[in-house]
Amino acid sequence: MTAPRPPALLVTLVVAAFLSACAPKTVRTDPDPQVQVVLLPDTDTGEVGKAVVSNQAGRTELSNAYSSTRVSMGAKPRARKMKTTDVEELFGEAIATLPPPPLHFTLFFRFDSEELTEESRKNVQDVLRSVKAQPVPDVIVIGHTDTTGATASNFELGMRRATAVRALLIKAGLSAAAIDARSHGEMELLVQTANGVFEPKNRRVEITVR
Amino acid sequence: MTTRSRIAAIVAALITVPTAAPALAQTQAAAAGRIKIAAGEVFVVRGGAMLPAKAGEEVLESDTLQTGADGRLGITLRDDTRISLGPDSEVRLDTFLYTPSEERLGLVLNFVRGSAVYVSGKIAQLAPDSIRLETPAAVVDARGSMVAIQVVP
Repeated sequence: MTAPRPPALLVTLVVAAFLSACAPKTVRTDPDPQVQVVLLPDTDTGEVGKAVVSNQAGRTELSNAYSSTRVSMGAKPRARKMKTTDVEELFGEAIATLPPPPLHFTLFFRFDSEELTEESRKNVQDVLRSVKAQPVPDVIVIGHTDTTGATASNFELGMRRATAVRALLIKAGLSAAAIDARSHGEMELLVQTANGVFEPKNRRVEITVR
Repeated sequence: MTTRSRIAAIVAALITVPTAAPALAQTQAAAAGRIKIAAGEVFVVRGGAMLPAKAGEEVLESDTLQTGADGRLGITLRDDTRISLGPDSEVRLDTFLYTPSEERLGLVLNFVRGSAVYVSGKIAQLAPDSIRLETPAAVVDARGSMVAIQVVP
């Protein structure tokens, strides 16, 4: 006795159905990489910059908020406007994952001292707030002086100023490892002066919080 | 410097470079930036090794950033440039040069696949021509801007 053989037509249909189900996965109709570029207004400042997208076939300039282009190899990029709903769908998660913007502060000091001016003492809170806004803060503190006094002692004064700010940050709860405190002495003036000139604007600490 | 001492310096450099280079390459791979936000599966591919990544870790020049199906990653570079990746994405940090005092500035990012956002930093202000955002189909020259790029490879 032999087992009943399935009808040949059924076998053909099953095989055909199986092959066609595989087809979209195995045969790519469009093997070229597809790229979309969209110019966004800065999430923090609202500013819109400029971007030029180019390939061998040509170039297009994006200069308005949400202007975008879809490019594949060899096709000239053309600008069009992307709907904000599409921006959200394509890039929502990436946009939500941007770290907070780095911020820069300048605190001023009394003459020949690591004591902050009255005005700058009020700005310390702004620095602390920006530190707290960062998920993993990196703080760079650079001490500067004016050109009165010797270069070497100004380097030390700049370091005392940077160290004083560092101590303030540590007191506010920031870990010492997150702070890089340095001195540039009188080498980087905010206001250019000759040597030996009293200049309050040069007696400062510049802080980057990122 | 006299000509003779200059020649001596060059000769000294030529002699010492071959032995010093490997150690230098390791210690001088100064951090380009730091991972600030990481969620889900995220990796840094460094020297062929795929390392699971966490917030707080440093990112080096020539690292590749990768996210899995549920991954998201946000980094800030030393020049204030910010880059974030959505899920299933890959971006390579080909070049990062940021030594303003020596005017050594440059940033080349390669968007390999997925979705990512770039927000320009100091390099874009100081040397806008040195920035290239590369994709498999086009090059993006971004000036002081926030740009989102999607690549379907």
